[in-house]
Amino acid sequence: MKKFVFFGGKGGVGKTTVSSAYGLKSANAGLKTLVVSTDPAHSTSDVFDQQFGDEPAPVDGHDNLWAMEIDPEQEVENHLMEIKRAMGDQVSPGMVNAIDRQIEMSHQTPGAHESALFDRFVDVMQNSEEYDRVVFDTSPTGGTLRLLSLPEFLEGWIERLLHKRKRSIDLYEKAAIGGREPRRMAEGDPIIARLQERKEMFEFAGEVLRTESAYFLVLNPDELSIRETSRAVEELTEYDLAVSGLVINKVTPEPDADESGRGAKYLRDRCRTERERIEHIRDAFEEPVVAVIESRVEEVKGSLLADVAKGLDVAVETTPKSAG
Amino acid sequence: MSLADKIETYRRHVSEWLRGLYHGMISHPAYELIEKEAEDVEDEFMLACFPDVFGVPSPISYYTAELLPYLTDEFEAWERRMWDRESLIERKGQQYHF
Repeated sequence: MKKFVFFGGKGGVGKTTVSSAYGLKSANAGLKTLVVSTDPAHSTSDVFDQQFGDEPAPVDGHDNLWAMEIDPEQEVENHLMEIKRAMGDQVSPGMVNAIDRQIEMSHQTPGAHESALFDRFVDVMQNSEEYDRVVFDTSPTGGTLRLLSLPEFLEGWIERLLHKRKRSIDLYEKAAIGGREPRRMAEGDPIIARLQERKEMFEFAGEVLRTESAYFLVLNPDELSIRETSRAVEELTEYDLAVSGLVINKVTPEPDADESGRGAKYLRDRCRTERERIEHIRDAFEEPVVAVIESRVEEVKGSLLADVAKGLDVAVETTPKSAG
Repeated sequence: MSLADKIETYRRHVSEWLRGLYHGMISHPAYELIEKEAEDVEDEFMLACFPDVFGVPSPISYYTAELLPYLTDEFEAWERRMWDRESLIERKGQQYHF
């Protein structure tokens, strides 16, 4: 099993439940596990009945289990402050105003949240040596796919910027005929250094997402989430990210045979259509169905979570580093 | 003033004139040309970094904002140049001294 495990899917299918359950299963198997929620509407806190923040915190009552919730709003703010601080060091106060507007603006673009989330996400992956397994509870399909496609896209962009910057500096150096001081020099250019740094970060992210990560999609036995899942599989494959399995959640439980009231009839009908859909899922997708989870009357948390965890047929092996 | 001194002064003048002539006709326009080209490439770079200045949303401006503290002077000059520039011909025309 890969070190980073992602659970994605349509909104409301139970990604948080499934990823928390998987996190618990890994932790119970002796792996130091971190559950990371990247969905802006966090619900990991609700599952474990404990408030989590932007830093990993141990989950009460469970050994080997940590959890955190990424807050993009805070990330954007931090990034903004960091740039302003650098600006204070570099630039005289008189010049700051004109540039300030631009910096503020760039932090209000629609992409800022995404970028902040992505940064934090990469940061978590980079600093995850102490964990054997990191489980990502992602935001609904669209957002996650965008996030996972970012490295490739941004890498290309940064590459072009780097190329342009190098070319202009090269020209400046050539313009310095006869021992004149060139207006800019490649050596020690902070822009090139910065861009290079960013490029390496995107390369790292792309590499980890392709080689060290496993993707699971959670779906319910209904038309909409089946269709969305098939689109998600397609897109992920396009980015070279292979889906390892599907988790079917919220399956209606069958009534006992001797029950014949209106409720039982309704359930029986429902079960029949769901059985068909589950069959369809098994046929139509190449990816294996790793778990079929019945819906529960209560919210899935506490001991119920452990129950769900047992039902997950997702491998947890890989020897725990902490034991070795 | 001796003859040798006179010749010496004369030679100094001539060489200064020659250097000036060479600088004005050959070397100055040459590096000016290259420098202009460098500026043009830099403008392209700035435009690729900050298209949102002109209302074009950029998915990467969150990252390029990090460069601004180091680009303050360039950024201001660039913004001014871009708003002022009337046409490419006008800009290229500046390179020729008639």
